[in-house]
Amino acid sequence: MSIEKDVVSRAIKGDGKAFAQLYEEHFDKIYRYVYLKVGNETEAEDLTQDVFVKALEAIGSYRWRNLPFASWIFRIAHNQVVDYFRKQGKVEKVDLEDDAAPADESNPAHIAEQKFEIAELRDNIKKLSPSQREVISLRFGAELSTAEIAEALGKSAGTVKALQYNGIVALRKMMLGNR
Amino acid sequence: MEDILNECLERIFKGESIETCLNAYPEQASKLEPLLKTSLVLMRKSAAIQPDAEYKARAQYQLQAMFYAKHERAEKRARIPVWHRKWAVAMTTVLVVLLAGIGTVAASASALPDDALYPVKLAAEQVRVTLAFSDVDEAKLHLQFAERRADEMTEMARQGKSDKISMLTEQIAKHLDKVFVVEETQLVEGKGPGVQEVRPRALAPPSPAPSEEAEAYGVGKDVEELKAVLSQSWAKSLAALEGALDKAPEKLKPAVEQAIDSLAKDYDRTISIIESGSS
Repeated sequence: MSIEKDVVSRAIKGDGKAFAQLYEEHFDKIYRYVYLKVGNETEAEDLTQDVFVKALEAIGSYRWRNLPFASWIFRIAHNQVVDYFRKQGKVEKVDLEDDAAPADESNPAHIAEQKFEIAELRDNIKKLSPSQREVISLRFGAELSTAEIAEALGKSAGTVKALQYNGIVALRKMMLGNR
Repeated sequence: MEDILNECLERIFKGESIETCLNAYPEQASKLEPLLKTSLVLMRKSAAIQPDAEYKARAQYQLQAMFYAKHERAEKRARIPVWHRKWAVAMTTVLVVLLAGIGTVAASASALPDDALYPVKLAAEQVRVTLAFSDVDEAKLHLQFAERRADEMTEMARQGKSDKISMLTEQIAKHLDKVFVVEETQLVEGKGPGVQEVRPRALAPPSPAPSEEAEAYGVGKDVEELKAVLSQSWAKSLAALEGALDKAPEKLKPAVEQAIDSLAKDYDRTISIIESGSS
């Protein structure tokens, strides 16, 4: 049994430490993915917590034979984000009101630079097609493999690779245009 | 090309360099290189997005409590006869939420900044502050938590984990700032100030040059920088505490005085550990 399989099995049986381990493993990645999708720190915090509450409610029904745990929890995250935009009556776009916190740093100049870079990334990603944005957010925000992304989105691995390729090409053009 | 790009990305995510991948695909290298460089920029910028630490700790605490409650409920349901379940479910839920919370928090009480349960400890402190009955109680809690951070700082120094010390000095400053805010509120409400008595206190003077043991703890320059961070942090803490003592209502003064004593000892101890090297 793989380590993650063992941890998930223990969490399903009620082992709090195992659940804490899954939380540590996936929390930041889910937050980054959600933030890149909604572009607002407060909304990203609420949605990330909702993802874990849903995962907690449904973890008893999780089965390994269907899909990897990362794909399973990111499918929940994807559905939460879709639901969020539906309830808001919004077209999926990135809100520009809020700056995400950069990784912990004590140098103010570096913090400012990081904030600028995060905002630039968020602005560029919002210009991609919805499918490209989904794949790029899952690949770079959540650090999922293309196989895991394919499972989470219910797409073929070939489609995910094509979306990834076209997304990176488009982002490169944007980055060069920003200079 | 899509497959090759993907394979290279998988390898880069695992820690390989761009060059390794370009060498593996020399014919595609000219097309591949700019895309991989763009991907590296995307990785770096994405990694800079981090959730707020306090929010993360609070969320973890709440989820852990829900997790324990859910599983205790399931176990009880399996044991209790059907005709007992309606009332038993209600009672169990309440008790389990309370007990699970208390159990987890108790287990986290001695956690240090690099322990898995440390976020639970911080979240539990936040809950206590939220539930404080009065502004003075809240200020006392912040003083108590500042002292805890100072204890943890000393322990981190003893274990040679100097990377946690700056973070802890910031946490101490945050707690003391909050004490000050509470006391200013008290002043506005006409509950202070009390007797003005400020006691001068200074840290033991730092050694003139890093010793051999200090070199063993880390590079000498790093040790000096760390000592400077600690000295500045202590000066700031002391100023905040003396300002607080000046304005504090009578019932808060003993707690402020105790915090000054305790923090002075912890800062002294931490600096001397850093000077003499970790054990």
